[in-house]
Amino acid sequence: MNDKRLVALFWWLWAFMGLVSLNAQAQEMPTPPAVAAAVAAPAPLSQPGLVRADSLSGADTGWMMTATALVLLMTLPGIALFYGGMVRRKSVLNVMACVVALCAIVSLLWFAVGYSLAFTPGSGALGAVLGGGGRLWFSGLNYVQEAQLVAVSHLAPHIPESVYAMFQLTFAIITACLVVGAFVERMRFSATLLFMALWTVAVYVPVAHWVWEPGGWLARLGALDFAGGSVVHINAGVAGLVCAYALGPRKGYGTEPFSPFNLGLTMAGAGLLWVGWFGFNAGSAVAADGRAGLAMAVTHIAASAGALSWMAAEWLARGRPSLLGLCSGLVAGLVAITPGAGYVTPGAALVFGLVAGVACYWGATGLKRLLKADDSLDVFGVHGVGGIVGSLLTGVFASKSISGVEGSVLTQALGAGSVMLYSLVMTALLLWVTSRFVSLRVGEAAEIDGLDIDQHAERLGT
Amino acid sequence: MSSSEKIAIAAHLHVLLRRKTGRVTDTEWMACNPEYAQEVIRLAHQKAAEGGHDDLGLLADRLEAAMALPERPAARPLAQRVSEAVRAPAAHAPGARPAAALDAGGPGPGPGRLGVLDALRPGATRYVSGLR
Repeated sequence: MNDKRLVALFWWLWAFMGLVSLNAQAQEMPTPPAVAAAVAAPAPLSQPGLVRADSLSGADTGWMMTATALVLLMTLPGIALFYGGMVRRKSVLNVMACVVALCAIVSLLWFAVGYSLAFTPGSGALGAVLGGGGRLWFSGLNYVQEAQLVAVSHLAPHIPESVYAMFQLTFAIITACLVVGAFVERMRFSATLLFMALWTVAVYVPVAHWVWEPGGWLARLGALDFAGGSVVHINAGVAGLVCAYALGPRKGYGTEPFSPFNLGLTMAGAGLLWVGWFGFNAGSAVAADGRAGLAMAVTHIAASAGALSWMAAEWLARGRPSLLGLCSGLVAGLVAITPGAGYVTPGAALVFGLVAGVACYWGATGLKRLLKADDSLDVFGVHGVGGIVGSLLTGVFASKSISGVEGSVLTQALGAGSVMLYSLVMTALLLWVTSRFVSLRVGEAAEIDGLDIDQHAERLGT
Repeated sequence: MSSSEKIAIAAHLHVLLRRKTGRVTDTEWMACNPEYAQEVIRLAHQKAAEGGHDDLGLLADRLEAAMALPERPAARPLAQRVSEAVRAPAAHAPGARPAAALDAGGPGPGPGRLGVLDALRPGATRYVSGLR
């Protein structure tokens, strides 16, 4: 099937689903008396529902809106710059186009099905693996001015559900965009869009439900993941590795130097990631409180330790500390502290960063050579390895006095292993499905010309 | 003189030649290949005389002087220096191979390490099989 037919099919399906949804929403809109009865006797929520607007926290709401913007900033333009600077000049625009397009696609998918299936309770036994359909097309995310009622999630009862849904959306966006780093400079743009759309719905959404919705099976088991060590980073890392194997290496890989376009852009992207990560981790407290403040502090400490740890490892092993190494190290530290940010002390965060810096340096060099995959921008080496290190260390260092829960290395290993296995199998399956509709890889001539000109008919300026 | 200092002079000469004569040269190759450097120096002197570009002539003299100096060995990674220091006493121990045998590879950077020029020269191993 050629690319144009694929795009047309997308749009027809989208329009059809939209019409069905609008009809459903018109029927579901609550009448004022029904709403009033529903909120007459407030009780702890076990599912999303309507509450009085004055029960919300202005501070929490304001912070979560800010955190949402910060996390989106990590992708647009953070990841676009971070990845764009590392590829060759002839494919920079393709990487940036992938990031922008995926941001838009994942957003609409989240609105249509993702949020509901990830963050609402499912029904029966299926509820342990997938959420329900009550919030499809954001239906029920109401704000009724006359009755001063607003929808909230049972996971965040002090902020509007619209804010919570948007905050979680930014996590889905960045996860999809992280995977791009593994298959840059060779995957067809249309295949990227189709595959990542399928992947978001079939992999990211269920895993987010397992870990973050209280009815999810990993949440019930006690696996700790404060801000997405397994949901975001291990998931993206393994998916990237599978993509790298499935697509094969770039032409000339292993024999020619692939000089990065502009490591200055990469540094600018890394800076945005560091700043945005405060929204990512401290925002995951879903409140402007002491735990959020602690999450912010440990995030900064781990990033600093990661940068210095990678730098030291590189300096020792290769004789020179590189800017790319420093940027990679700070990301490694940030990745590792992500699952533990709301559970560990600042002292523990130092250990997270130091261990992650060295482990991810090995992941992007020694392990990469062992795996023999052209994981082009080291998505597995940094995000996969960093996520695994962080998840396991969370089991070691989680403090009951901070969060009220204790960690278990075994449970953490089970959680990380389950996500790795699911992501591996499903990513392979979805790549195969995508390849039935459109070829995954560009032709050899296109690869030599670069994806900017071949896929987008554009070139970087001089 | 270190290779990075030679590159700095070569880069300056490259810019001046391009600006004043329109001639484009290869900076890295100029700093590491004496024959190519000599030819560029000859060209720079010729153009300086023709066009009255004194600064071009002075820079060509500086490069000529720099190329005549012996290459300072590139910095070796700390890890390698430590491992060599640890191995050194063993080399002098009774029954050990003579130290000369360990140095059979000659002076300069060993395999897998990066000098400044190694990192920039066409065909260098930097960025082959990975960015990091």
